Amino acid sequence: MSSSLQMIGVSVHAREKALLNDVSLRLNEGEFVALLGPNGAGKTTLLRAALGLTKAGGRVLLDDQPVKSLSGADRAAKVAWLPQHSHIAEPITVLEQITAARFRFSESHRDAETGALRALESADAAQFKDRRITELSGGEQQRVAVAGLIAQESPLLLLDEPANHLDPNQQIELYRLIGRLWREGRGVLCITHDVNMLRYVGSDAPIRVIGLSNGRLQFECEYASTELPSHVGALFNVGMEVLDSAGGRLLMPAAHGSTDAERTQA
Amino acid sequence: MKTRVLVLCLLSIAMVCAAPWFGKSLDGESGRFILENLRIPRVLMAVLVGGTMSLVGACYQTIFANPLAAPSTVGTTAGATLGALVAVVLGPVIGLSQAGGLPLTATFAFTGALLVSFAVAAIAARGNTRVNDILLAGIAISLAAGAISAGLQFSADQLQLYAAIQWTLGHLPQVGYRGVVMILPFVLVCWVVLLSQTRGLQTLLGGEERAHSQGLNVPWLRSVVLGVGALGVGACVAWCGPIAFIGLIVPHIVRLGVGASRRVMLPMSLVVGAGFLATCDTLSRLVIPGRELPVGVVTSAIGAPLLVWLVIKQRR
Repeated sequence: MSSSLQMIGVSVHAREKALLNDVSLRLNEGEFVALLGPNGAGKTTLLRAALGLTKAGGRVLLDDQPVKSLSGADRAAKVAWLPQHSHIAEPITVLEQITAARFRFSESHRDAETGALRALESADAAQFKDRRITELSGGEQQRVAVAGLIAQESPLLLLDEPANHLDPNQQIELYRLIGRLWREGRGVLCITHDVNMLRYVGSDAPIRVIGLSNGRLQFECEYASTELPSHVGALFNVGMEVLDSAGGRLLMPAAHGSTDAERTQA
Repeated sequence: MKTRVLVLCLLSIAMVCAAPWFGKSLDGESGRFILENLRIPRVLMAVLVGGTMSLVGACYQTIFANPLAAPSTVGTTAGATLGALVAVVLGPVIGLSQAGGLPLTATFAFTGALLVSFAVAAIAARGNTRVNDILLAGIAISLAAGAISAGLQFSADQLQLYAAIQWTLGHLPQVGYRGVVMILPFVLVCWVVLLSQTRGLQTLLGGEERAHSQGLNVPWLRSVVLGVGALGVGACVAWCGPIAFIGLIVPHIVRLGVGASRRVMLPMSLVVGAGFLATCDTLSRLVIPGRELPVGVVTSAIGAPLLVWLVIKQRR
């Protein structure tokens, strides 16, 4: 049976403020969903609610079972998470870190290490295995973090701005790696600020793009849709220019006088 | 790293084995008596107490993600001190010196340690409790217990005050094999359970929420470590008083020596802690000829400058 994550009418409140308001979405194994939204839109809260990390109203189902009713190991067997900040202060080696990521498996340490090495090779990060995680660059650390996701062997991946703080080359490499995980059959829900990065995921299969603002879903369309630029422009309250390049369509914020307010004034 | 592990192990074992032979010569029948009935059980006590305090310290530093966490941070030692002072001050008033065949001070100290620690463990078991909240709760309970202890000391007479101060400085009493046998079950349970949680503790290094997403039941692990740690530390502190610094400093020495991987660091904290306390106790017997310093004074005297040196070395 293929795995799925289903959120039905999910709401999260902090004191009086609604961080998420009646949000419903579904992620199936083999699907790629990109989640866009301005800062404070509720994107991270949505992923945390999906993992049962925050108290949420509505229903969150993993393979049709409430996420709260699953044991830690059962939940980790279905969904893996890459948080926005995955910082390890302790100077342990990369191999030790990825071995620890296989906590859900009841296996010997030797088997866990073998699985971790496999994951590091799959993420092209095997060369870092004996280095301390604190000695790696930002891009190398993110690559290792993705190896941790692979090591968990879950069919659904939740990625929270995985390319944050990386230089352009590292961002492209990381999105290519994420695309490979998708093409291998995993379902990916990826938060991003930069919709153009999705061109590096590299597949003919459709990518769903979902816009979130003020805790509410604003739009849902395919990445290739002609409506995407106007949706993205409205979401970030900025005019969008569409540039055609050899690699495909590029969405760029317009240079001058292009917010809603300014358009209204004009 | 394997060489370092081996060297630290051999050094600790050598210190433990050599400790009973330091001091006045052990000639004749009386020498043999001193060795077999006083020094060996005392070194055994040092092994159990030093190993437990250090192992629990290393585990607490992991679950709190805080290098300053130690058995004293979550109120275990403050609870024990309060219990011991209640026994010292109120024991003569109610005409009791023993409880169920055990010394009243040890029984009350053990009870105090467990009551305080389990209260903190219960707070930690709540799913939505943040790690800083647990630390704050531990510190608050420690302060409250310290205030009551100070009040008890204020109302005590001179003899009781001396007994109270002697207890709070920490010492490895010459209780013979009885004390060793008394704390052994608690200490063994503590060692076995804590070492069995190594995988979870290693996973926790990536952060609580990441560990949760990887399948770890974080509140359950926290409360097991706090509860079982309290059992071991409570038993040790009840007999020996709150021996300062050892639960804080030994994990740091081990981390610098053999790395931060909990698979190595936890068992090595146990071994090095045992060797460290056996060494400190031997020094406490030898520093002033004819008199014994409380071992807590020696661990502080060595531990404080060592900790400062380690912090400076880490920064470089």
